[in-house]
Amino acid sequence: MDLSVLERVKWLQQQQMVSPDFFEILGSDGREELKRVESYLGNNNDELQSFRHYETIDGCISRTSSFQIEQVKNNEENRVIALQHKRKTEGKTEKIENKKKKKIKTEDETESSMKGKSNMSNSETSSEIQKRDYIHVRARRGEATDRHSLAERARREKLSKKMKCLQDIVPGCNKVTGKAGMLDEIINYVQSLQQQVEFLSMKLSVLNPELEYHINELSTKQFQACFTDLPEAVSKQLMMVDASSFPLQHQESLDYSVINSIQTTTLGSKDQTSSGWEIHSQSLYNNLRTDSVSSFFSLE
Amino acid sequence: MERQIINKKKRVFSVEPNKIPPSEVFTRKYTSHLVPALKKLNMNKNSSQVNQLTVKHEVDMALALSAQEFAWSRFLLQKLSSSNNPTTATSSSSNGIRIQERSGKEGGGDEDGEIEEKLRELQKLLPGGEEMNVEEMLSEIGTYIKCLELQTIALKSMVQDTT
Repeated sequence: MDLSVLERVKWLQQQQMVSPDFFEILGSDGREELKRVESYLGNNNDELQSFRHYETIDGCISRTSSFQIEQVKNNEENRVIALQHKRKTEGKTEKIENKKKKKIKTEDETESSMKGKSNMSNSETSSEIQKRDYIHVRARRGEATDRHSLAERARREKLSKKMKCLQDIVPGCNKVTGKAGMLDEIINYVQSLQQQVEFLSMKLSVLNPELEYHINELSTKQFQACFTDLPEAVSKQLMMVDASSFPLQHQESLDYSVINSIQTTTLGSKDQTSSGWEIHSQSLYNNLRTDSVSSFFSLE
Repeated sequence: MERQIINKKKRVFSVEPNKIPPSEVFTRKYTSHLVPALKKLNMNKNSSQVNQLTVKHEVDMALALSAQEFAWSRFLLQKLSSSNNPTTATSSSSNGIRIQERSGKEGGGDEDGEIEEKLRELQKLLPGGEEMNVEEMLSEIGTYIKCLELQTIALKSMVQDTT
């Protein structure tokens, strides 16, 4: 088994399809490791005795076929998996699709300390790719040996994956198909959110001088409650308003019809807790409000 | 007293750029930044009117401080600390006009060009988006949107509570 791995690695090197392609496509964090690996391959062909595992971060290693991860001994496998999990927690690397596995033997144990950064484990046969939690870019035989198109394809797949994530976040994206439409939706959504924030901060700035800030303290309490338990929030509001020491004469009250119109255009309808809370608070305020001065919206 | 109320029980480690921060943690952080800031503003400018821009500034600052695990928050902080007049107020409205014009023009045109245009628009919306490459930007946009949503909820509750 040792020999076969060595042979394969040597073959890879001879093909010379690895080295130039790697460094084109490779992200910066994998490059160092790869350089080290290259030096290993050059030097230590005959002396390798222990296994090291690395993961590569690129999209075009396999020109001909997909790689297979050999079933390694238990310890190494677990270590690889553990390291992969650690890897996945490193943010961006998760987004990188193509993880080919390379197994490289080396006798240098000290470098196992580097494992936190990235791992490369290379093994190739002509058969399966072992399924992991990320997307592979399959370069089929005879197709797109051009590194540019491979890179292009990897990039496009990454983009589409991200677009899918965004689709979940932005409401209303499901109905639109195609990148352009979705992007439009996303742009409009972000703009509307920013405008809302602007508007609310304007409101705040007007309210600011009249506020007593213990009100805000109470609001943060309520506010936290609203994320945990809805009825609690309502009951707290009731208690606080009853025992209130608010300066009622300075209170400005908003016209709730206008607020409602704003609410309907916002994502409040999407977020169940917030809309529920607003409904509760609305009924509360309707009961307690003395004035109905709607001075605010003239500010707009 | 606010500090006692706002009890940060959890640390937020954003391990993946696209992962949504727990909304509770974010909003706690946010209110804990914003409320004292507003209070301070209020106390400092007792007689004069609280400027709308400074409030916006504080609002943005609170957003940036509450979401420090993301790249866009860094850019936002830079923008805020460098200038006292936040430009986001004007840019968002102008972008709104521009995007409508553009979609009118490019009716059946080059699809890739259209997409590129839109990606660029998106980049402008995100703080620091223009310095990122597209993939990064797309990941960051997701988190930015979520934080904006939470921010609006927070602001709404603050506004409604004070009336």
